Amino acid sequence: MESSILESIGQEIIGVMSPVSLCMLLVVLLVYSLSPSNPFSSSSSTPIRTAANLVYLENPSDTAAEKLEGALLNALVFVILIAIVTFVLVLLYYYNFTNFLKNYMRFSAFFVLGTMGGSIFLSIIQHFSIPIDSITCFLLLFNFTIVGVLSMFSGGMPIVLRQGYMVSLGIIVAAWFTKLPEWTTWVLLVALALYDLVAVLAPGGPLKLLVELASSRDEELPALIYEARPTISCNEGNQPSSLGLLVGGVSDSGSVELQAVSNNNVHRDGSENHRSPEHAAIQVRRLENVEGERNRDEGERLPLVGHSSERYLSDGNSSEYSTVVRNRESEIVVDEEMSPLVDLLGIDNEREQVRSDGMGDSVAASRGLGCTLILLSVCRRALPALPISITLGVVFYFLTRLLMEPFVVGTATNLMMF
Amino acid sequence: MTVAAGIGYALVALGPSLTLFVSVISKKPFLILTLLSSTLVWLISLIILSGIWRAFLPLNSKTWWPLAILIFTSVAFQEGLRLLFWKVYKRLEDILDAFADRVSKPRLYLTDKMQIALAGGLGHGVAHAVFFCLSLLTPAFGPATYFVDRCSQIPFFLVSAIIALAFVTVHTFSMVIAFNGYSEGNKVDQVFVPSVHLAAGMMTLINFASGGCIIGIPLLFLMAILTLMHCGRMVWRRLTENQRQGNS
Repeated sequence: MESSILESIGQEIIGVMSPVSLCMLLVVLLVYSLSPSNPFSSSSSTPIRTAANLVYLENPSDTAAEKLEGALLNALVFVILIAIVTFVLVLLYYYNFTNFLKNYMRFSAFFVLGTMGGSIFLSIIQHFSIPIDSITCFLLLFNFTIVGVLSMFSGGMPIVLRQGYMVSLGIIVAAWFTKLPEWTTWVLLVALALYDLVAVLAPGGPLKLLVELASSRDEELPALIYEARPTISCNEGNQPSSLGLLVGGVSDSGSVELQAVSNNNVHRDGSENHRSPEHAAIQVRRLENVEGERNRDEGERLPLVGHSSERYLSDGNSSEYSTVVRNRESEIVVDEEMSPLVDLLGIDNEREQVRSDGMGDSVAASRGLGCTLILLSVCRRALPALPISITLGVVFYFLTRLLMEPFVVGTATNLMMF
Repeated sequence: MTVAAGIGYALVALGPSLTLFVSVISKKPFLILTLLSSTLVWLISLIILSGIWRAFLPLNSKTWWPLAILIFTSVAFQEGLRLLFWKVYKRLEDILDAFADRVSKPRLYLTDKMQIALAGGLGHGVAHAVFFCLSLLTPAFGPATYFVDRCSQIPFFLVSAIIALAFVTVHTFSMVIAFNGYSEGNKVDQVFVPSVHLAAGMMTLINFASGGCIIGIPLLFLMAILTLMHCGRMVWRRLTENQRQGNS
């Protein structure tokens, strides 16, 4: 019996969705396990001043209007920073500073993996009381970082290793984002979605310029690429198809790097500096199928925000993606991914609420990702992928929280289900 | 009751579906997409239902007939949605067949169609388990447990996990039966699915009485086993018919 089409349809979408879902799941587990067990401990309340917090540090005792205003200012500053950095990147790329970009990207990856990853490892060791001495720990961290840089920027490394490092980079930046306060998180998310929409679609948008530059030179885009190489099916011909995913990392001193790794044989690096502790990930996905399309996309998740209780446990991370599709032989799709935001929400009763909110959210967000992918293949031009997913995620989050929670919890605790 | 118990409850509710997922669905990416879509559809239906019923909550839990109406309307709505799902699936089937012709591969086999139906049903079941059981399970990972008055013999988490298991089975296999019934025009199958769903929903009402869960839950499992058997018989019949057709 010949193999049916059901075997191979949708492979590309799954190839991109699975690392994103894995990243989301791991971030949730990480944040959940690292959350302090005492809901009222004061250690989690010291806010970190980051680029997302430059203007306004959220204080739980401020009024709603103050919080909203402060969050808006924060988001504005952040988006402006991102825009400036993107323009700098475009300029650097335009003037062919490739060596500089390449080396800076390597340094940035090293830095992010080392410092942010290191602090996460330290908290894990502390939380679980793992008996390890400092020299061993340092050596292990050093190895981890070096191998990460090597696997992401040079060839000859197993693809699984590179994929693993991409995912861990996403996890690290996501976990970092969980430290942001609630209102800032939400407003930032929406602001980034809007920025994404503008940056990719508007005629002067930096991402659009970048993509046009890259395609006019027939080069790879400067960004970190996650490649998911599916099995070579019989109608692919000689060239293996590859899905690229770009992930950018941010170091806590405020340098964001977008690193480009070309697929197949050519390696090209580009980097971009952001003076912001923002994680920007660019996802490039290439799909070479019969029609010669390439798509990029990323998944996203949205943060769940808790109630008036001090402790928060939410599942959510956001990554924005913009997808650019070129209708040529070598089409490049660039997605910009924002690192996931995971916040801690909930106490006891509210935890259930948060759980179902988070799950409804992630389901909706992954469908948003799927929709974006489908839209890509339909529109065949650069598309920002973030807005759809973010909108879906936000809508679903609030719908589940407001409508579904009382209903489901009410019936379930009465042991009445359907 | 500690992490082990929490994971145990989660696996009670979702173990068989995890097995189904790993063995059947994870191999074909399209089925994963179908599962995700049907989960989303079920979630949307739940949101709409809760939107409709929001005005009447919190329900007075002394009398049982408002709850009966609630369950009846919810089941009716979801069955209507299943019909809609079927219509969408028909269109999808045409698209897939056209695609298969374009790349000169064989059209969808019967087993493919059944697998898509299974993935759809599993999506519904997993959504049910997640929203009715897993979302409430977070406290179970802590140091204590929780008992409901009406069913005080076993912890609430275990009860909800067991009920979720039964419902996952019912949802998963009734989708296969329903799709088959719609495609063949078989009235028995078409009526079987909504009635089993309604009966299962009503069984949970028995839990409402004090100590009722001792009777209610085994009856629920009876429904689940009934669904399983009917589905098995139907699938067997269709496959042997198909085989005979192929050979003749």
